[in-house]
Amino acid sequence: MTTSASPDLLVRGLAALCAEDGHQATENRSGNLFHWFRLAGPGDLLDAAKRLAAHGARLCTITAYDPVREHGHPRHELAYHFDCQGAMFTVTIELDEADLRVPSISGLFRNADWNEREFREMYGIEVQGLTNSKRLFLDEKLDAGIMDRVLPVSVLMNGASSRDLWERLLALRAKAEEKA
Amino acid sequence: MNRTTEKTYALPIGPVHVALEEPMYYKIELDGEIVRGVELTAGHVHRGMEALALRRNLFQNIVLTERVCSLCSNSHPYTYCMSVENLADIAVPPRAQCLRVVAEEIKRISSHLFNVGVMAHVIGYNSLFMHMMQQREIMQDVKETLYGNRMNLSANCIGGVTHDLEAEAFAFLLDGLARLEPEVARALDIYRTDRMVVARTRSVGVLSREDALALAVVGPVARGSGLATDIRRDAPYGAYVGLDVDVVVEQGGDVQSRALVRLREIQASIDLLRACVRAMPAGPTLAVLPEIPAGQAIARSEAPRGELIYYLRTDGSQTPNRLKWRVPSYMNWDALGIMLRNAKVSDIPLIVNSIDPCISCTER
Repeated sequence: MTTSASPDLLVRGLAALCAEDGHQATENRSGNLFHWFRLAGPGDLLDAAKRLAAHGARLCTITAYDPVREHGHPRHELAYHFDCQGAMFTVTIELDEADLRVPSISGLFRNADWNEREFREMYGIEVQGLTNSKRLFLDEKLDAGIMDRVLPVSVLMNGASSRDLWERLLALRAKAEEKA
Repeated sequence: MNRTTEKTYALPIGPVHVALEEPMYYKIELDGEIVRGVELTAGHVHRGMEALALRRNLFQNIVLTERVCSLCSNSHPYTYCMSVENLADIAVPPRAQCLRVVAEEIKRISSHLFNVGVMAHVIGYNSLFMHMMQQREIMQDVKETLYGNRMNLSANCIGGVTHDLEAEAFAFLLDGLARLEPEVARALDIYRTDRMVVARTRSVGVLSREDALALAVVGPVARGSGLATDIRRDAPYGAYVGLDVDVVVEQGGDVQSRALVRLREIQASIDLLRACVRAMPAGPTLAVLPEIPAGQAIARSEAPRGELIYYLRTDGSQTPNRLKWRVPSYMNWDALGIMLRNAKVSDIPLIVNSIDPCISCTER
């Protein structure tokens, strides 16, 4: 999965799309390289993806997350992780909360489809140009953006399952008594 | 079956079906007994584990990630620990790095033996299935003796490994490998030349090199289609940096090629284990841990099914701000659409098994 194009060219091209100080490079103790790019805006995503595709990069995954996790004030960022000649390239975009939309890159990277469908249902981020909008994991009855919610299990349950079960049993018993 | 067009019928398989090890719903479009299309519906074992990871501290997440799935249960905490180590620039002692490779390769052998064994069962060659599972017991015994458990080894912790192995344990491991090696060579010959195996697996479920590249498939699925990709060699980590990893490739792109890749990888893993035991450095097995800073890090490993990625974000607190992992099976599901096209109904379970899918991993 290597190409003849130099990854240095790619690094320079992606850095040009970043805000000031938007590019960092790190290396771990095994000597693996990691490039981190923070794009100036979501509008630059397709440009960045085109450059990565032209250099034979492979899309590894896409991560949606809330960088602050402050209750009641969700914020969204997307990190696109690519492999290019053994080095990891992570391209991050910050989304506008008033307009949670992002263009699909599945035209450039065929394997983006599942990743885009997943963050669409988990974080409620709309993907423009997504050809298959069928839910991947969550049932259609569940609200989108379930990962934005911070609900402790104790609050979520609130004894509901045991109460429901008890009420159902009582109703069944009443029905049986009526028949008798 | 429901009629979908004038020519085709829809055959539902799953989510719970005798041919499936885990739940997945397949809507197969059939023209007679030929598959024309497939639509997958997942989500039956979605447990919200990535959300759970945000409620646990960095140490508790070692336990959580080991429970994503059982067959590659060592790869998850291993890669997760590496992501924390990359973030905090922790120097894992050389002995611990070597011990991690020992655990990883033992699990790889067991996982591959399970898959090729089940493949024999799917084609109705049950004596071969039982023989392969019997050989797998050698590795299950090794795991139980070395780690006290047959599936979840609890070998990894941040900065190293949970416990050291004595010379006696290495001797037990080497003895097990010596017994397994000739059996794998015999099995390789059967999977390569036996008339029944060849008739059912050769030229079945073909994924071309071009399609494998376009879909970015990983692991034995990619290597069975001629793509020489392996994170242990392409972006080496831990003790793999100093080991000579043989990247096994087959060109057929079919069910047989994927099985042969796994069997040959068992041989390569046996070599790696012997090399590790020979070169096992002395010294500590755990690093002194610093405070984990705020930041982001990625770690990758070659799990039995292929590239596994962990992405970690921290904010200086004890719990992650985000922990995302992408498992190898996630990349390989889409390839089923190509492998199953124009296949016979009877080959569906065989082709599905050939990508060694892990649904618990995929859905998390």
